[in-house]
Amino acid sequence: MESLAHNDVINLLLKLATMLLVARIFAEVAQKLKQPAVVGEILAGIILGPTVLGMIGPDFFEFLFRSNPSANLALDGIVQMAVILLLFIAGLEVELHLVWSQGKSAVSISLLGLVVPFVFGFLTPYFFPGLFGLTEEKKMLFSLFMGTALSITALPVVVRILMDMNLFKTKMGMVIVAGAMVNDLIGWLIFSVILSFMGKAGNLSLINTIGITLLFTVFMLTIGKGLLNKVLPWTNKKLAWPGGVLSLSMAFCFLAAAFTEWLGIHAIFGAFLFGVALGDSDHLSEKAKEIIHQFINNIFAPLFFVSIGLKINFFTNFDLGLVLVILVISFAGKIIGSGYGAFRSGYTLKDALAVGFGMNARGAMEIILGLIALENGLINEKIFVALVVMALVTSMTAAPLMKWALNKKAEEPS
Amino acid sequence: MYRKLALAIAFSPRMEALIAEARKLIQIFEGELILIHVGTKTPELEAQLSEVLSRHCGDLQRIKTIWKEGKPTKTILKTCEEEKVDLLVLGALKKEGLLTYYLGSVARKVIRKSTCSVLTLIEPKIETTHFSKVVINGTELEITPRVIARGLKFCQAEQSSQVHILNEIKLYGFQMATAGEGTEAEVANTRRKLVQEEINYVQGILDSLEPTNLKINIKVTAGKWAVELVRFCESIEADLLIMGDEQGLSFIDRLFPHDLEGVLEVLPCNLLIVK
Repeated sequence: MESLAHNDVINLLLKLATMLLVARIFAEVAQKLKQPAVVGEILAGIILGPTVLGMIGPDFFEFLFRSNPSANLALDGIVQMAVILLLFIAGLEVELHLVWSQGKSAVSISLLGLVVPFVFGFLTPYFFPGLFGLTEEKKMLFSLFMGTALSITALPVVVRILMDMNLFKTKMGMVIVAGAMVNDLIGWLIFSVILSFMGKAGNLSLINTIGITLLFTVFMLTIGKGLLNKVLPWTNKKLAWPGGVLSLSMAFCFLAAAFTEWLGIHAIFGAFLFGVALGDSDHLSEKAKEIIHQFINNIFAPLFFVSIGLKINFFTNFDLGLVLVILVISFAGKIIGSGYGAFRSGYTLKDALAVGFGMNARGAMEIILGLIALENGLINEKIFVALVVMALVTSMTAAPLMKWALNKKAEEPS
Repeated sequence: MYRKLALAIAFSPRMEALIAEARKLIQIFEGELILIHVGTKTPELEAQLSEVLSRHCGDLQRIKTIWKEGKPTKTILKTCEEEKVDLLVLGALKKEGLLTYYLGSVARKVIRKSTCSVLTLIEPKIETTHFSKVVINGTELEITPRVIARGLKFCQAEQSSQVHILNEIKLYGFQMATAGEGTEAEVANTRRKLVQEEINYVQGILDSLEPTNLKINIKVTAGKWAVELVRFCESIEADLLIMGDEQGLSFIDRLFPHDLEGVLEVLPCNLLIVK
């Protein structure tokens, strides 16, 4: 087995330490300003990366992040794992039973909140390819990608906002959370299909891949879940706690990830679906969920978010026109879609607007999606930067806008 | 509280025990009893029934037996509606096989579709059951205030010795992980707040009701409430679980189990569904 040289190890450790330290500082600042930690962590990456540090201290930047290919490769492996783990907890967060118990309004809000932004995201590049600098043969795939990238709501951001506003337990809060969960699930299904269209190294043909993707999804949510329900009580009883359930769930998460990667639909999809199946099981205790969340959110997530800024220069790739276009279609699609869905299920106009603003928060998932599309050559760096900015702006504005919509309601004479 | 009780009978070995149990409830609620049998009326069955009735309900004035033919579930439900029954009593097996679970047994179909309250007994006894340890579902749902009010009345009539009201914290792990972005004190505070909110919810309902002399214990759990209810009932060996009902359950709900479905899958103890 190859191993890292003395210098590589030092460089890798320095990288990790710097990334975690700076991410923590900015996450704390973001929280003081009542913003999600993710926002701070992404900014930390932009500052450590070519955008800021690369400009003001190019030698130091070069030494830390560019000079050592072996350490870079090792870091890339760690970041890959971080992405898989992020998707795993995104899956854990989806609680199907909550969705079913919220009934029709959640389904209506989430479907409209998915379809409308998808249509907006799809049609804009499809009819105005010039705006995105697209060629004819890439147009279809790109439009599909854009539709998906605009339609996934950031569940953790939404939950945090709802908790802060004391709305989590209200009917509206539960409907938003359930809506965002359905969003997640369907959004990733669509994306996995797009990934197989991109046809990255896989062992199967296109139709087979789509078929097997759907089969795998159904399998995970029925038989997979059933198996977990059989295995978990045993692990809880016989193995160390929480050690047993933690290492086993990680192991199976990686197994599922390896399987979907082999299929050619990317590792993250397997991790996500395994997360959904595990999270929906009756026997995974809430305490175990909390522990899994904590260590991924605070160690792996910051590494991933910082790594985005390290890869790309946000200044030279910043295209104001593009950013504005993406912002407009993302705001319009989500607010109209989810808002109309809420309105249709009997919410007042103001409440429906608040639901729309809440569902508008985008975050990690868009960025992960964008990164994969970037790595596969589907989008360029300018579009990726615009997507990251969109995720930041929508996440940062969700809480103030919701407050505004609900306050307006309070001012009205009843 | 329950003026008109109906008992669905099937001439099974447990029939006598069920009749004895219904007889006891009639005594508590001072109501009338209607026996419903779906099937052909034969002299043998009639004789068998009257023999059992004379043993347990000899002194009962207001008792009526209805014999009807047709599909069991539909006929039972229709008769209950026609007779304006308040409480339907039936026997059920503790656990259904996988096949009957998906296709539905009579008892579980009736529980799902009945418009009146249903008391399901898993182990009816000739010497009758005393519902001493009772668990009430206090999860925040529209019907919960009514379930608690009716449940406590039932417990009072039955003179239960312990009443536990269970409420859950929704998505506890996820909420705590999100709160984990704060300092240690903030996290501890959130944890306390989450628990306190759930206690306050149940306490608020209790305060709005007339005081009882029952020993009531409010318990907060985290996780799926149906699963937690079942676990709690099993751990304290409860005699009765009281919960509300979600309307309009269909086959889909059995594929993606709802909360009520979770309880119906394996009945932890006797079950009273308040409608």
